[in-house]
Amino acid sequence: MQTRDELRDPLTPVSARALAAEAPRTYPVAIRAAAVIAAWLVPGGGHLLLGRFGRALLFFFTLVGSFILGLSIEGRLFWPTVADPQSFLHYDLITVLWSFAQVGGGLCYVLSYALGFGLSARPEAPTYEYANTFMILAGLLNYLVVIDAFDIASGRKR
Amino acid sequence: MHFLMMALYAAITAVVLAAIDPKAETMRQRVLHGLKTFGGFLGIGLLLSLILYPLPW
Repeated sequence: MQTRDELRDPLTPVSARALAAEAPRTYPVAIRAAAVIAAWLVPGGGHLLLGRFGRALLFFFTLVGSFILGLSIEGRLFWPTVADPQSFLHYDLITVLWSFAQVGGGLCYVLSYALGFGLSARPEAPTYEYANTFMILAGLLNYLVVIDAFDIASGRKR
Repeated sequence: MHFLMMALYAAITAVVLAAIDPKAETMRQRVLHGLKTFGGFLGIGLLLSLILYPLPW
């Protein structure tokens, strides 16, 4: 058991470095903003920028994999469509929500749109609903990953 | 097919939620959180399917 005097002793340089490396670090505002944007654009990009290489790879492979899996089994990209121009809501609410969820995938969504993948819907395909679920899942989870990157950059967690 | 897709969905969700868990300090805690999430998704999915199966509508 340590006595009180031993606890007051200064740390050895090795222990001090280890302690500093473990403590959450607050990054400058520019890096925080860059981490959030990178995290949205490429799943795991924000963590890569902040030096969390393991988590960055994990997020990249799981979330991009989920989006690509969805696209490859007849998934489609959603965009808000007009339901009834006279109505209060104007847009079909479900397409608004699903497109918001898919846009969370960042460049996955943008590149798929630019390259023409998932633009035509095939609801008769047996995997259509599964596919859309995986693409929506990837986008929604990436929103959580963006928040996690912001928390790390602002020193709230390691 | 449906169970495979459900398991894959549960696995992806569990991996990401475990990795961003703000309370987990160690790898062991993260792995436990991931396993609990995965098991929870599969268990609740199977339980709901058993409950809903006999319903005629």
